[in-house]
Amino acid sequence: MRPSISIACLALALLSAGPGFAQTAQEIVAATDKVRNPAQPFRTTITLTEYVAGRERDRDALAVFSKEDPATRQYRNLVQYLEPPRDAGKRVLLDGHSLWFFDPDSKVSVRISPQQRLIGQAAIGDILTVNLAADYAATIVATEKIDDAARQPRQCWHLDLKAADDLAVYSRVEYWVEVGSFYPIKGKFYSDSGRLLKILYFRNFAERLGAIRPTEQIIIDAVDTSLVTTATLGEFAFQEIPEAWFQRDYLPRLQIK
Amino acid sequence: MTVRMRLLPLIGAALIGAAAAQQKPDENSDLELIPKAAQAPAPASNAEGSAPTAAPGKIYLENAFTQSWQQSGLVPIPPPQPPDWQERLLLDVRKDWRLASTVTLAYSGRVNLRAGQDLSFPSHENATNDLREAYASWEPLERTYVDAGRINLKSGVALGFNPTDFFRTRAVVEPLSVDPVVLREDRLGTLMVRTQRIWAGASLTAAFAPAAASRSPIYRNDNLPSLNPMFDRTNALDRFVLKGNADIGGGFSPELLFYRDTEQTRWGMNVAQSAGQSVVAYAEWSGGRSASLIDDALRFGRETGTLPPAAPSALPENALQGFQSQLALGASYATQTRITFNLEYHFYQAGFSRTDWNNWFRAGQGQPNTSPIAGELWYIRAYAVDQQVPVSRHSIFLRADWVDAFIPKLELSGFADVDAQDGSRQVQLTADYVLSDAWTVGALALVNSGGQRSDFGSLPQGVSVLLKVARYF
Repeated sequence: MRPSISIACLALALLSAGPGFAQTAQEIVAATDKVRNPAQPFRTTITLTEYVAGRERDRDALAVFSKEDPATRQYRNLVQYLEPPRDAGKRVLLDGHSLWFFDPDSKVSVRISPQQRLIGQAAIGDILTVNLAADYAATIVATEKIDDAARQPRQCWHLDLKAADDLAVYSRVEYWVEVGSFYPIKGKFYSDSGRLLKILYFRNFAERLGAIRPTEQIIIDAVDTSLVTTATLGEFAFQEIPEAWFQRDYLPRLQIK
Repeated sequence: MTVRMRLLPLIGAALIGAAAAQQKPDENSDLELIPKAAQAPAPASNAEGSAPTAAPGKIYLENAFTQSWQQSGLVPIPPPQPPDWQERLLLDVRKDWRLASTVTLAYSGRVNLRAGQDLSFPSHENATNDLREAYASWEPLERTYVDAGRINLKSGVALGFNPTDFFRTRAVVEPLSVDPVVLREDRLGTLMVRTQRIWAGASLTAAFAPAAASRSPIYRNDNLPSLNPMFDRTNALDRFVLKGNADIGGGFSPELLFYRDTEQTRWGMNVAQSAGQSVVAYAEWSGGRSASLIDDALRFGRETGTLPPAAPSALPENALQGFQSQLALGASYATQTRITFNLEYHFYQAGFSRTDWNNWFRAGQGQPNTSPIAGELWYIRAYAVDQQVPVSRHSIFLRADWVDAFIPKLELSGFADVDAQDGSRQVQLTADYVLSDAWTVGALALVNSGGQRSDFGSLPQGVSVLLKVARYF
């Protein structure tokens, strides 16, 4: 290779990389996962406010118990509906491929598919705790400035995440992470067919469980863009969560203490 | 050439920059999708450490009106005829109370105010109470539980037929719908002591239900007790069940069951497993020595005094017991548009074969509806409904559930139960619309269809429509 070409390639690499490329894409996603959720088991509540065509339509509340699986580095979640009264007491176990739904009316736990985990509000609880670094292979597309949910410009890594195993619920994710702080700013989630399903904005960063974390997300249904949901996280606490909780027979026994 | 090569990085950078410049407005345009009402962040009221408040249960008031249209069949149904209309107002309560950190009380019940074509007014039949559950639960050791009282112990992974759900027999009371999902909700628990131990990846449950009342005849719509908890339906025999499951890798956790009562012993297994992103395959089986449906029904009818004890049967009897299997094989498929389909094959070995059906129609055809033969024939079918088993040996079940169908908050569901031997079917469509957190309205339509000499085509109820409104508290 002639020197001029080498210099040109190096210059191109430097120009396109920018200051943040000291980290690999995977390291950036892993660092962002740590911003979003602590490594220790914890519980939180999520208040979901659904807007239809700009008007508030519905409000749900979920309690979420999360614990990282040391084998898969993925969060396992137990979700209990708190509100509305119609759904109160329903529970969902989201543990890799082991997905069960329990309805206190029928008193039966029914196995659900990964696709079904996307149905209903529990899916939002799940998406908020997913460790993207565990199931996705990331590459950096560019660094670029985009506006965050408060319309403030943020210098971000624009990452492209491809599903790396069959535990990944979405086939592809586009992800914007602020350079330096590793704050997640925005995500776009795609189906196998390449269809854009959800757009997420992260906002309201505050100190929770020992770190600055986003405490609110805006989830835009990209299939029907008149549907928008805000997810507000609260009542955080570290909590010991025994392994025995993550199976179908524990679902009827789950109690919020 | 060298100059051109030196220009390349600049051109490349310019292109990347241009692309980024083009992306920015596109990306920022997504912000326009956020409604104004959601643009302000929620107030930071998120103190750490406080525990979330769980609702202590569920209470709702529901009004349901049912109108039915009858069809005539080859075998006339004995009196009383099914009602053409029924009106029900019900208060449904499910509540838990925690008395101490390891002790809870649970109650689940329903108070019904009823009126109908077949019910005299006023009478005690206008008010009935279904005590579904009332039990205490104690956790003496972590994840070791002892429960005592009336408990709804359910098992099974299939939707339309649950061979391992041993405590389902005789337990369903006055359901508003014949959808198997609803039948699971509208049923009485069994008086029992249950103990359960849950480990990481495994659990074991044992339950003993004592005989606390003597056997009673099959209840009709017009002779339900008002306040009696009806232990004669759920606790007429000593019953014991032992069941356990273990995760043997990859979330694969089959459940094995052993059941014994004073008349039979059954073994069972159920398993459900994901297959890809959208499919869950499942299987449920139980087997044990028992008589056929016809013989079981006739024996029960004679023992409880509904059928004359010494009279010969209109159908061939076989007192010998054999090993009889019950099986449900199925799969669910979920689409990206929030529709879930369940397709199942049901096998009930003790049920009617083609020959049994032929005998049934031959014996009943042309009989007056007051004849003992017609009474006996329809009694066998009423017994199957009471026992929550299919009448036919082979059937296909398809159910679909569509969340947010066409518009948000509208849920459409429906099922078709098809007799695989004669092609007759029972089809039900349900629509529920959530008006608000408190109010839901809904409607359902049920159609039984098929030839006159078929399972569902011979049922007296041809079409039925139900309208309902519910208020949640």
